[in-house]
Amino acid sequence: MIQSLANWILSFDILSGLGSSLVWGLSLFIVAALIFVFVAVNAIVLVYVERKVSAFMQVRLGPMRVGKFGVLQTVADALKLLQKEDIIPEKADKVLFTIGPWTILVASVATFAAIPFSDTLLAANMNIGLFYVISISSIVVLGIVMAGWASNNKWSLYGAMRSAAQIISYEIPVGITLVAVVAVVGSLNLQTIIQSQGGVGNLFHWIPIPLPNWYIFHSPFLFLAAFVYMIGATAEINRTPFDIPESESELVAGFMTEFSGLRWALFFLSEYANATLVAFLVSIVFLGGWQSPFASYSGAQAALLVISLVAIMWTVFVKVKIGRLSMYPLGISILTTMAAWLFPGFAIWLASPGLFWIVLKAASIIFLLMWFRWTFPRLRVDQLMYVSWKVILPISLINLMGVAVWMWLSGEIQF
Amino acid sequence: MGRLHAEEMILNMGPQHPSTHGVLRLKLTTDGEIVSKIEPVIGYLHRSFEKHAENLEYQMVTPFTGRCDYLAAMGSEHGYAMAVEKMLGIELPERVEYLRVIFAELQRIASHLVAVGTFGLDVGAITPFIYCFRERELILDLFEMASGGRLLYNYIWIGGLAHDIPPGFVEKAYEFLDAFDKRVDEYNQILTGNKIFVERAADIGVMTPEVAINYGVTGPSLRASGVNIDIRRTQPYSIYDRFDFDVPLGEGLQGTVGDSWDRYYVRVLEMRESAKIVRQALEQLPVEGDVQAAVPRRIKPPVGEIYFRSENPRGELGYYIVSDGKNIPARVKMRSPAFSNLSVINEIGQGWMISDVIAILGSLDIVLGEIDR
Repeated sequence: MIQSLANWILSFDILSGLGSSLVWGLSLFIVAALIFVFVAVNAIVLVYVERKVSAFMQVRLGPMRVGKFGVLQTVADALKLLQKEDIIPEKADKVLFTIGPWTILVASVATFAAIPFSDTLLAANMNIGLFYVISISSIVVLGIVMAGWASNNKWSLYGAMRSAAQIISYEIPVGITLVAVVAVVGSLNLQTIIQSQGGVGNLFHWIPIPLPNWYIFHSPFLFLAAFVYMIGATAEINRTPFDIPESESELVAGFMTEFSGLRWALFFLSEYANATLVAFLVSIVFLGGWQSPFASYSGAQAALLVISLVAIMWTVFVKVKIGRLSMYPLGISILTTMAAWLFPGFAIWLASPGLFWIVLKAASIIFLLMWFRWTFPRLRVDQLMYVSWKVILPISLINLMGVAVWMWLSGEIQF
Repeated sequence: MGRLHAEEMILNMGPQHPSTHGVLRLKLTTDGEIVSKIEPVIGYLHRSFEKHAENLEYQMVTPFTGRCDYLAAMGSEHGYAMAVEKMLGIELPERVEYLRVIFAELQRIASHLVAVGTFGLDVGAITPFIYCFRERELILDLFEMASGGRLLYNYIWIGGLAHDIPPGFVEKAYEFLDAFDKRVDEYNQILTGNKIFVERAADIGVMTPEVAINYGVTGPSLRASGVNIDIRRTQPYSIYDRFDFDVPLGEGLQGTVGDSWDRYYVRVLEMRESAKIVRQALEQLPVEGDVQAAVPRRIKPPVGEIYFRSENPRGELGYYIVSDGKNIPARVKMRSPAFSNLSVINEIGQGWMISDVIAILGSLDIVLGEIDR
């Protein structure tokens, strides 16, 4: 994307006089700014969505006053945060207190450089993309410890220590789970990982249920790995049920306790950036990224017909309480099916890969994360460690071996 | 296996803290995450209720009782009114007794809803709290219909009630009761059986019957330890002997008898029992009757003293009233259940983690207004 942007800039006659290295730098800057804008806007949208989703789950309305349906509420909140007084506690370590939030933000924004949004839309096509994402996102813990320590507050210290322990523990199973996928693909390049998931095949290669060739359906082991990754990733981004570092009913706000105004907004920004990152990673690694779930346009029509039939049966036989919300799945599936059968162009569009699919998948994962957050209680810190070291880590190790054996048995690799 | 010991750190939890249920300060001596000593520091909400009572006429004390346990104002007023009535030897009309029981039991449900919801909040589940408050709203609507107040009522007067219930109240109460049973199922679905919730609450802060009795713990927290003491049953006051209800006890369904989960679950069960009592009382409620027929013009109890106990949502609420024959009480002492219940926290909370201390505190269901008075 940077190269094509640079080429596009140089294609103008007036600008071709600029040196190619200058143009290259300019394109770099523009792309970085675009990523930052994406992260910021994304956080504003997600905060609004989270408040609305939580409101629907809790039988209330959520923000309704600022703008239609409260859509401008988070914008107003962001503006308020920007205006607030910049408070640094007297006994805080001023340098670390200032650097901490920025470290977290930089780390979480930088990871998006490697995330492919479509087959062409990505900032940097790295051959070690997955490795880059994992390693850069680990820097977040450094910022959290900085912030917690610098606050000179016992609650913040507890939050930071818990967070450090938690993120480091969960990185191991998460990393191993991703290695299982890398073992199948044989590449760390995120584009290669996505490209190898195109088309439609059988579930686990031999159960005759036609499903997309996504890695979640590759083998029982990777199916399990997807869930292990989701659990580990939820813990890594400190969301309920693993929101122990900032558990508001225990540690007030954990490492964020002493922060206010812009610095606090940065924490918020990076929190949602991390959630988005995890959602994108799950959809890239396990759910085929920007690949369409349909192999062809007739496949799309058939699959949608099946989906809407299932939705109708579900509504009729499970006796769903007919309400506004419960009718959405039914209505959407029927409308999409009708559109796909009436307009072949729509079906073709559905069957083609693109930005729409990865955003849809990531949005579903983010919704899942929100669903977790608003239904589950919180684990205790030692239970969290137990889950990490004694449950998830062994499972992910067995998974890795299982994937290797599976590959060997199914003849995907030969010795 | 030995545990590594680090330097001990004193951690001040509160008085401004989201989970101390008011302005309670807990001085925690911590060794890492483990809490080795808990010292509750109270008095941040002291409003000198007892001193006030010594300077006010008997009927003027009633509103102050509601402000002590502000989550169960009806219960506090009921206990105080009954104590003074016993001193005066007043016989109440049937209708008043039934209405008082209806309001006291609705208040018990409302109070337990807050207890159950905030316990969920303490262990990190936010949604059940809102669900509980949804039902509490319905009860508060009923209270508002009758008394005009939603938190503090001044409704149960000495010798009667402030007003009779308005038309439509009984139907609305039935409506609430019909819906309520299914709502309790909802709490059980989202919280009670949740694996994470059970992990957080079961076996945590086990209170043996001996410890509970030694510390004077009463109410649901005592019954969760398996001790079958409910003043409504053991020493029936008002007209509680006419109703058919069970006294739920902690059985250790998910862990040990007397753990935090039991204390939570006993409250859930008690809500159903209270709903049963309200239903029976509504069915037996006499249609006619002046609720102010027995309200005395001047309240001048004979010289003497009385200790009257009643079952508040939080436990045994006792009023010790000394009369010197004037229209102003010489002394009013309130035996607040939450005060005794809080005192046990150091005993059962030692050696647990910070998160557990919060869960244990939440399971004791304290109200600071009543502790500090």
